[in-house]
Amino acid sequence: MKTVYLCSQTMNGIYSALYDAWKRSRDEEAGIAFKDMVEHQLFCEYVEVKEEERKGVAVDRLIRNHLGERAYWDIYHALLSEDAGRADAVFRVLRDARTIKDSRKIMEHLTNPAVEKVFELKRRVANEAHLFVEFIRFRELEGGVLFSEIAPKNRVLTCFGDHFSDRFPLENWLIYDRTHKEVLLHRANMHWILMSGEELDDELTERVTDKEREFAHLWKGFFRAIAIAERTNPLCQRTHLPLRFRKDMLEFEAF
Amino acid sequence: MAADKIGIEMPLFEKLRILSDAAKYDVSCTSSGVDRKGDGTGIGNCHAAGICHSFAADGRCVSLLKILFTNECIFDCKYCINRSSNDVERASFTPDEVCTLTIEFYRRNYIEGLFLSSGILKSPNYTMELIYATIYKLRRTYHFQGYIHVKAIPGTDEELIRRIGFLADRMSVNLELPTAESLRLLAPHKTRRNILAPMRLVQNAMAENKQELALYRSAPRFVPAGQSTQMIIGATPENDYQILNVAESLYQKFGLKRVFYSAYVSVNADAALPVKYKEGTGGEPPLLREHRLYQADWLLRFYQFEAHELLDEKNPNFNVLLDPKCDWAIRHLEQFPVEVNKARYEMLLRVPGVGVKSALRIVKARRMGNVTFDDLKKMGVVLKRAVYFLTCNGKMMYSSVRIDEDYITRNLLSAGERLPDSVTGLSYRQLSLFDDQNFTSRSVESIVAG
Repeated sequence: MKTVYLCSQTMNGIYSALYDAWKRSRDEEAGIAFKDMVEHQLFCEYVEVKEEERKGVAVDRLIRNHLGERAYWDIYHALLSEDAGRADAVFRVLRDARTIKDSRKIMEHLTNPAVEKVFELKRRVANEAHLFVEFIRFRELEGGVLFSEIAPKNRVLTCFGDHFSDRFPLENWLIYDRTHKEVLLHRANMHWILMSGEELDDELTERVTDKEREFAHLWKGFFRAIAIAERTNPLCQRTHLPLRFRKDMLEFEAF
Repeated sequence: MAADKIGIEMPLFEKLRILSDAAKYDVSCTSSGVDRKGDGTGIGNCHAAGICHSFAADGRCVSLLKILFTNECIFDCKYCINRSSNDVERASFTPDEVCTLTIEFYRRNYIEGLFLSSGILKSPNYTMELIYATIYKLRRTYHFQGYIHVKAIPGTDEELIRRIGFLADRMSVNLELPTAESLRLLAPHKTRRNILAPMRLVQNAMAENKQELALYRSAPRFVPAGQSTQMIIGATPENDYQILNVAESLYQKFGLKRVFYSAYVSVNADAALPVKYKEGTGGEPPLLREHRLYQADWLLRFYQFEAHELLDEKNPNFNVLLDPKCDWAIRHLEQFPVEVNKARYEMLLRVPGVGVKSALRIVKARRMGNVTFDDLKKMGVVLKRAVYFLTCNGKMMYSSVRIDEDYITRNLLSAGERLPDSVTGLSYRQLSLFDDQNFTSRSVESIVAG
């Protein structure tokens, strides 16, 4: 009989489920599903996972040691997606990695359906993260904090924590994810942190300095001047910069 | 300083509008070629692949703050909007203004760095000194570690270019026009010699720097992202073969990173130039031609083609209907079909529908076992083009496929080419009108046959 491990959609939940499933059922028929979206099937035993930090640490180490750093990041990125089958696919990848000669090469076995799925999810997340590295716009709030608000489909915030920390080491900045209500926060000269379950005070984030208004205006002016009228091509523009990003980009606001 | 000529009253917004508008015809807006982490003392870093930050209404990427330092100019190049004989609004930045704009835009993640070009104020040296002062300040006072691309002005002193090279990531000297003759005609103040001189200088200095770096790892780096150039396409009567040959020799003899092609946008009415652009009356920029040149440029740089294989004296312009690679393959059917499981990597690269990535994947995959057409599809090979040129284990994908020029041409044409949006923005009628000269007799025949 197939055992299905039920967990919450948090990173900790998924890691705990991987831990339990790996420990008890790695050689049997098993799967992982999310508590809030499971479709019960016949001939399955459902087990609820007890979620603990230590399980996450153990799974983290397991993956890094046996599959290598590259595969670890592929799996991590895949788990940041919102796909209902992400935890199950990762479990199957871990299991199938045992069946091949060199487990560290598991992510190259793209003909394996589980690997293909994880690869696809990872690509989706990494691509979206990259677009936000390009399109995130900061505004300077009173007090000098740089603030940005985005609405990504996946939980991409941690993907570019290092990028912006390296880029703006002396700045205080924060990026707010409206979709998942998470905040990526960086204080000058410190490591970034991620905070979940945050609601933002709209009034506070609208209070910008006069200098901010001036540079926003300058940027909008530059953005209009740099286009060549004879080559106007909205279709091409939309391919590279899809409409969903534009509501958080000042150059697409009214002038 | 430059500002006193204009009067300091001009607001920054106006200056930025004028000087970015004047810089927009420069094609290069890439921030690629150098990987650099921030050192924690200032602001900025660089990624080798480059990062775009926005896309303008013409669909071109906005990566750098692309501006002229000044659009004052003592030169009178006929194709240029800022030529001395034009009556346009003139403005100049001060080094401080450029620094402030760069830093403030950069920290809001608007841009990846600065692209600084300039008209010529008083003399090339005078202007380049101002540019040097600007980027010196940016690097040393603001500790800016983002990307800086500087245009070198022909006729500048060697020593000054060397100093700038140690601060900039990329330098470029515009070739402007493909032949010395055209240059004489349209840019009377520039000569081929004083354009190539700084290019050679940068090349040599980069080579010297490479040796220094091998000895001392922390030696300052000279133009780490390499140099590029650009040519204007369609303002003068050169054919594609001439242009491609120039590009090839620039890659081979000057070690350039990129050659950019810029479809000529007619901004000045001048007897020596094509007609000025006015909607619907012709004079549209030759975008398809520009696209074909970029395709061929890729073939030179990544697919091991040589210019003389793609075009020749008798056949000096690109086919409008087929991309250069398909065109080449159809003219060399004696070399096809190619067996996927045996062919050399170099030959796989030449198969239409096979790119660098998929060729590498094929080479890797066939070590593990025989590659089939199904596998090719998964590897990203574009089968609707490749089927006519490939066999897997000795078999074509469909038994009905014939190795026949007319047959393949017709099928490739009906399979269609996915032209980038930058070209399809125009209607077919406009394209064919403007690119008339690119029609070959063979392409006409194939249309008739189809």
